[in-house]
Amino acid sequence: MLDKRLLIVTGKGGVGKSAVAAALALRAAFDGKRVLAMAMTDDTGLAAHLGIERLRYRPTRIRSGLDAIVIERPEALNEYLRVQLGVPRIAQLGPLARAFDALASTAPGIREVITIGKVLYETRKGTWDLVVADGPPTGQIASHLRAPATVARLVGAGRVLDQTGWMTRLLGDRTATGLTVVTTAEELPVTETIESLAAIDDEQLVGIENVIVNRTLDALEGDVESLDDGPAKQAALLHNGLFEEQERWIAHLPDGPRVPYFFGLHTPSEVAARMADLWGSP
Amino acid sequence: MSAVLITGGGGVGKTTLSAGLALAAADRGIRTLVVTIDPAKRLASALGLDGLGSDPTPLADNLWGAMLDATRSWNEIARRYAPPDVGPRLTANPFFEAATQHFPASQSFAAAEEMTIHIESGKWDVIVVDTPPAAGGMEFFTSPARMRSLIGGRLLKWLTGGSLPGRRLVYQFTARPALRIADAALGSALLEAVADFLIDLRAAYDGIAERSREIERNLAAAHKVVVTTADPAPLSEATKFFEIHNGIPEFVVFNRVLPESWYHAASPAPAPFGDNLARWGTEAHRQAEARRQFSARWHIEPATVPWQPQTPNDLEKLGRLIDAAVGLDLDQLFT
Repeated sequence: MLDKRLLIVTGKGGVGKSAVAAALALRAAFDGKRVLAMAMTDDTGLAAHLGIERLRYRPTRIRSGLDAIVIERPEALNEYLRVQLGVPRIAQLGPLARAFDALASTAPGIREVITIGKVLYETRKGTWDLVVADGPPTGQIASHLRAPATVARLVGAGRVLDQTGWMTRLLGDRTATGLTVVTTAEELPVTETIESLAAIDDEQLVGIENVIVNRTLDALEGDVESLDDGPAKQAALLHNGLFEEQERWIAHLPDGPRVPYFFGLHTPSEVAARMADLWGSP
Repeated sequence: MSAVLITGGGGVGKTTLSAGLALAAADRGIRTLVVTIDPAKRLASALGLDGLGSDPTPLADNLWGAMLDATRSWNEIARRYAPPDVGPRLTANPFFEAATQHFPASQSFAAAEEMTIHIESGKWDVIVVDTPPAAGGMEFFTSPARMRSLIGGRLLKWLTGGSLPGRRLVYQFTARPALRIADAALGSALLEAVADFLIDLRAAYDGIAERSREIERNLAAAHKVVVTTADPAPLSEATKFFEIHNGIPEFVVFNRVLPESWYHAASPAPAPFGDNLARWGTEAHRQAEARRQFSARWHIEPATVPWQPQTPNDLEKLGRLIDAAVGLDLDQLFT
């Protein structure tokens, strides 16, 4: 999956979406690629998993081959106006910028097109071998992927429309772009995953790379009932109970990579590093 | 009357605990309403919440449930708090639904408004509100102020000429030319249409601002329960709550807790059960360390709810979940 140029990672809140995004970026950098990790909405998770305090709109060097940024709206908006719409810098101050800001928080698709536009722009630029975007949660991913098309419908002509064309094409190019959905094997995340997969597939918004199931447990061999009452039996019963529940929900998902439950890891950066190791070439 | 707000990061079990707490209140003979956002199907069917609308519906003895419908709430907000001639025009505007879904904190504001309506109705003695997960539920508390600053903010004032008489005239000479330039880039009259919408929204400012202060008073008076697990992401969400509330003591519930005794347990059990206990013991220890650190930092005694392999799928199991909680002072919570 690291052969793509852009991987967008989504998932329900709390399933480890940012951990997977950070780990994918780290893995590709370990393998010698030039990688940009991007937080599309909130940088808390990605920053923590990359082991730094916070991200900025300008790239922060994480390690050799890996930079990271967060898409902050005022800066993204300015860059969009300047680079993509060709609005001269002087006109971005004052009234016009404020008008665009009003538009961005009101009209459907504009805010999203600025965010996804930045991701696609970085992908197209050629500076990076791979861009990994820590995307919005599952509930908002479709509206982001749909944004270029929404905006294209909304505006009949002009430069904004011109820009949406290449965006839609790059998003839909299955050799270049892939969507990774992260889930845990629990009811709500699995239900949400299935719903968003169906919507994205139905509208052909982007190629679905895979569904990664995080925090999976292995089967525990042996006869639990033969154990004496005590912690070992309690732990085994909990483990088996969770395992059965997980298998039940995994059955609803397409085959894909699984990440085991990491017992006793303390920090987000430990989790991301362990995950990146796991995906290392044998 | 007690309003109980359940806040916390995504995936920590807020909805399940909200339902469990509401059921516990109802079991004590207290007339209780639980307002929830997006429950798991099994939990929803356990509670009879399937296909539930935003109007309170009876679920069990003394227990009612309602779901949040942000679009409907916003239509009501426009109807109630905008001037009579503006409200219908606002809700009929094609931008209205998109805008109210996009506004920062708009779902939270709608939820806080629903809560306030239910409190004012006087029909319930306990109202349990499952808050939207954004920013660890913090957005819920800041949403009234954010809504005021959005609608009353400089941007809208500038665009619409504020509340000056003849504001449309001011707008014609200040904002409209800029919008025209922008529209030229966009290639449509989009911005002008948006601006017309915003002018109407601005007219609703006084009504919404006044209402948002009432909502704030109700939020301040409510019991706040912070739900978290011992994992870093939910803990940092919970930390935000304390930082913004300046460490005011709250009810803190750690969910999915493992017994720390597993860490110290000698494990004479045969393989693989001995190894299995050892790794779960390590995890239990990590959880306990995280819990101790958090408690020491904020000077709190958190309640704990044991890790269950399954989300409760009937009322009895939901009841048992709350029974198994340690250190949860229900009397204090429900008064």
